[in-house]
Amino acid sequence: MNAPMAPFAKPWVANPDGYRVPYEVFTDQAYYDQEQEHIFRDETWSFVGLDAELPNKGDFKSTAIGDTPVIVTRDQTGQLHVFKNLCMHRGALLVRESRGNVKSFDCVYHQWSFDLTGALRGVPMRRGVRGEGGMSPAFDMANFGLDALRVEVMNGLIFASFSKSVEPLADYLGEGIVANIQRIFNRPIRIMGDYRQYIHGNWKLYAENTRDPYHGSLLHLFHSTFGLYRATQKGFTYMDPSNRHSLLKATASAAPTSASEDQEVYKNVRSYNTEFHLQDASVLAGRPEFEDRASLVINAIFPNLLIQQIANCLAVRQSVTHAPNAFEIVWTLFGYADDDEEMQMIRMKQSNLVGPAGLISMEDGEAIEIVQDAVIRDGKKTSVLAMGGVHAGSVDHMITEGPIIGFWENYARYLKLGDELKK
Amino acid sequence: MSQTITAAHSAAIDSLHVAYLAALDKGDMVAWAATFSLAPEASYFCISTENDRRGLPLALMYDDCRGRIDDRVSFVTKVWVGTYQPYRTRHFIQRLSCEAAGNNRYRVTSGFTIMMSAEGGTTAVLTSGEYRDLIEIQGDHAVFCERRAVYDADVLPRYIVFPF
Repeated sequence: MNAPMAPFAKPWVANPDGYRVPYEVFTDQAYYDQEQEHIFRDETWSFVGLDAELPNKGDFKSTAIGDTPVIVTRDQTGQLHVFKNLCMHRGALLVRESRGNVKSFDCVYHQWSFDLTGALRGVPMRRGVRGEGGMSPAFDMANFGLDALRVEVMNGLIFASFSKSVEPLADYLGEGIVANIQRIFNRPIRIMGDYRQYIHGNWKLYAENTRDPYHGSLLHLFHSTFGLYRATQKGFTYMDPSNRHSLLKATASAAPTSASEDQEVYKNVRSYNTEFHLQDASVLAGRPEFEDRASLVINAIFPNLLIQQIANCLAVRQSVTHAPNAFEIVWTLFGYADDDEEMQMIRMKQSNLVGPAGLISMEDGEAIEIVQDAVIRDGKKTSVLAMGGVHAGSVDHMITEGPIIGFWENYARYLKLGDELKK
Repeated sequence: MSQTITAAHSAAIDSLHVAYLAALDKGDMVAWAATFSLAPEASYFCISTENDRRGLPLALMYDDCRGRIDDRVSFVTKVWVGTYQPYRTRHFIQRLSCEAAGNNRYRVTSGFTIMMSAEGGTTAVLTSGEYRDLIEIQGDHAVFCERRAVYDADVLPRYIVFPF
């Protein structure tokens, strides 16, 4: 393992010809360990689930923040809690199921029992057996409650933080991102289900991918072939004041102003075929449901969440890290509790667009893996981020890599990567 | 296994299973689609055990009509060309149950295993699972009216191009 961070002064400078990121950030365990400590377990809010996943008292789910296992639960008063999934006795995973409903969390190892607020309620043989053994008189059960995280719920999205000092969630997100959450989570949702996909690449390659509006019409040929999103489409790229989060929004119809413009933009694009027709076009037949008529909204929230609206296909995507070269995407698709049958069917058909086999998302998995495979021994080489000017910030178009630069500037700030980065 | 199935029907069902896995193991999407009924309501669903057990409808692939089955052929053979790493599969199945459903139709379940070999890579288990089928005998051969592939993996080991 290299000495953490020392090598990286120069490549991180934003040169006029591009912002450069050394590939070792995707491969080196030292960076990965620093991220766990300074991003996932420090002053950030991580998404852990939707309150609609836990409708009843006693419901729980297990998930992870970065690679730290956590439990999300609703107690007997209806309050949501997030705990480390770690028994306070000898460190065993307290919960091994993905989901369930319980009255208490009982460790299988020595049966320490915690209530749904995290308080330790039972320690078998605490007073010994037939007068022998037992816990030390100094042992006080009140001191061994589960490690609780801070929790905030915004319009049904559950966020948690290990930090006691991180700003409140609304401030962390900023007004523009809060507005998008309020826009999409405007009424009770109905969960359609989850996809889970293991990707053999670094989680930050997905953070880049989801902050990169201009790959959409090039990598995802379904988009451009069927007019769901084209580079000629009007849109904007919004970033919150801290540049941690981004909102990519296509606002108008995907139709080009003329066929010749379309041919010009896509003249160098492989196998792009405007003549191709679907046998069953109902996959694309949506119903406008937002006042702004946006057809595509990709909202990346630092560090582990993406909220999407692609036509009527609504989803949250949570990144769970496993190693420098492995992470998992958990997609939860949803509609609204008051969707009529036709709308439910529209969402089911459009669910084909996303997920591990999604018509416009399958290729993201491949794009990440081919970067990871290629850079393995070229950690000192750098990528170049130059599209749209070499700066983060909001712009009224989508042909930009600005949101990716915003991600890396914040990454460097969280990891305290040296003064030369702050220039 | 139901008493009412004839040897000829049983053989037709076995042949259909073989045609299906042979098509996918060759990467022949047209032959895959040909194992389904031409009726407009023919359907193919690929869904996780997790969603299935939770009673949630979300499917990895949701082809609820014949047109979409044909479109999936085009997605793989035309739209996605060049965007995914080529991989080969070997499907193994075993029939678990077969119940007559009337009108020359049968409800059939089978266990499956899919081995995957990515180009330049080793062979690994992609997933296992259960096919839940509604199969119709048409003359001397059988077709899928509905195939529901319920896969076991909670987390898929990679992105997916071909149906299960």
